[in-house]
Amino acid sequence: MRLGMKQLRRVPLFLFVGFYTVVTGGPLVWVAMMSLRTTAEIFRDPYGFPSPVHWEKFADAWVKSNYGTYFWNSTIVVVAAVALVTAIGAMAAHCLARYTFRGNRLVRFGILTGLVLPPQLVILALFQILLDINLYNTLAGLILVYVATHIAMTVYILEGFFAQIPQDLFDAARMDGYSDFEIFWRVTVPIGAPAIFTTVTLNFIVLWNEFLFAVVLLTDDDRRTLPLGLMHFTGSHQLDVGMAATGLMIAMLPIIVIYAFSSETMIKGMTAGAVR
Amino acid sequence: MAIVTVDGLCKQFPGGTAPAVHDVSFTVADREFMVLLGPSGCGKSTVLRMIAGLEPITSGTVSIDGQVVNDVPAKARDIAMVFQSYALYPHMTVFDNLAFGLRRRDIEQAEVARRVRAAAGKLELSELLQRKPHALSGGQRQRVAVGRAIVRDPKVFLFDEPLSNLDAALRVSTRNELIKQQREIGTTSIYVTHDQVEAMTMGDRICIMNQGKVVQIGRPLEVYRNPADTFVARFLGNPPMNLLHGRIEQRDGRVVAQLAGGRLSLPMRTASALGRYVGGDVIVGVRPEDLYESLPPGDPVPFARLPARVAAVEPLGAETLLMVTLEGSEAELIARIGRDTALRRGDRLDLALDTATIHLFDPRTTKSIA
Repeated sequence: MRLGMKQLRRVPLFLFVGFYTVVTGGPLVWVAMMSLRTTAEIFRDPYGFPSPVHWEKFADAWVKSNYGTYFWNSTIVVVAAVALVTAIGAMAAHCLARYTFRGNRLVRFGILTGLVLPPQLVILALFQILLDINLYNTLAGLILVYVATHIAMTVYILEGFFAQIPQDLFDAARMDGYSDFEIFWRVTVPIGAPAIFTTVTLNFIVLWNEFLFAVVLLTDDDRRTLPLGLMHFTGSHQLDVGMAATGLMIAMLPIIVIYAFSSETMIKGMTAGAVR
Repeated sequence: MAIVTVDGLCKQFPGGTAPAVHDVSFTVADREFMVLLGPSGCGKSTVLRMIAGLEPITSGTVSIDGQVVNDVPAKARDIAMVFQSYALYPHMTVFDNLAFGLRRRDIEQAEVARRVRAAAGKLELSELLQRKPHALSGGQRQRVAVGRAIVRDPKVFLFDEPLSNLDAALRVSTRNELIKQQREIGTTSIYVTHDQVEAMTMGDRICIMNQGKVVQIGRPLEVYRNPADTFVARFLGNPPMNLLHGRIEQRDGRVVAQLAGGRLSLPMRTASALGRYVGGDVIVGVRPEDLYESLPPGDPVPFARLPARVAAVEPLGAETLLMVTLEGSEAELIARIGRDTALRRGDRLDLALDTATIHLFDPRTTKSIA
């Protein structure tokens, strides 16, 4: 059968997509296979299939390596931080997009400055501040830091989206008797839901994997988050590759689940307004 | 029952050089349908938004039933507004869109439903109550927007160019529907548009605005027949009124307007008002429908003849537009004549003009003289 020009032109695209999938998905599959094999098996044949399949490694990691605690800590920190950053960020974005007030440019500049500050630059200051307010080595302290460092990106994405909601909708709601907060809650939030969902997903993924702030600001083992837990399997003289892979899979699962369910909405939110 | 009075209303936007609205005053009687008409950027929507309470007032007052409402928030003015974009909430069904304003007012759920269904029935939206706005046509969305205003049973309706997003055919039918609804409900209404046909057909009175100021207020035909200045003369009417430069002279005991291409004998009524203009310049205005291809049968006395050459012929089906250049001048006129004309580009003709219908304007102030 003759290939049409249209299909021929698509061949390079398919090749590229195929290559990209192997490059990004390959390591994931490899780690998934290693997570079901012991370290000895892996050293014998790094790319082998799991045979026999060691499901018990997940239970071991969860119980013996304290992964249950890390997972719970991560969940508390990330859910709380994402909830706060979304609530505060959405309200700030709504105000910046909707109201002209004295100093609004300064406020916007102040918030968005957070986008350009590298975490390495602020970490010492944050360390000192948390010590001063007795939040060093606490989950609450880490939540606060996560909110502060991720508010800029959240406001940036949401403000762009909210600014595109027609002013008439807000005027109509005002004439219908709704207060400023009710308008935010009943008009901006439901209409801006795709963008809000995007920031929730992005922040969740980034914070779930966050390592730098967590390693500096948490010291007690029972307060560590998942990315720190992975360090358990990495000593100065040895590396438990098999358990590290199992730990990685546990850490990745929530992200994979979230992304699988939300990728479409997320892309919609990120590209909203780009094409009208 | 509501009388809306706007008195000396001004609006200066921060950073703006000229005021967007300057000393606008008018009164809309109870149950009256007032149209604010003017070109884009003339300040008509700003006036509407100030009446609605959506825009702070720089100076002047807005009163409803004699009570100044400058400091009353929009929600407490008991005004409903239909927006140009319809402003339907995309995440709500038609029912919820209609009920949104009522739910805020502590009205019982059953009563909300009853009023929503009544408004939906009136606007033929009953079948669409569970649809979201994106699943509606332009006309249906427009009806929902009107329904949202009706359902609240407010003192005053404000309309901000509500038909401008509809296609031509739908605009005509919706226009008629809107007029019918307003007459039935009888709520005092203020309607903003830049479309003169809407203004002429819908308004009990028209308030014409230009550059932030009121130029003329009156009944549609009154304004059309007696424009206050050259702006109104050109703005109302399609094609617009022809304006020619002329000079008032006295010849053989008669007052005439001397144009580059001919002479018009002015009727006595007009002539008597022209005292101080004799020997001076004027602007002569002629509506395209007052120009004729040939002298109509009957008494030709009030008719003048202007020799002209046809520059273009535009047959519109029901009528024909004739672009002509007056002989001996560069002045161009548009005449609206019968559809069966045999005239072609380049033909010569003696354009007949009913001198009783001409308008004269002061060239300095552009105001109407007679």
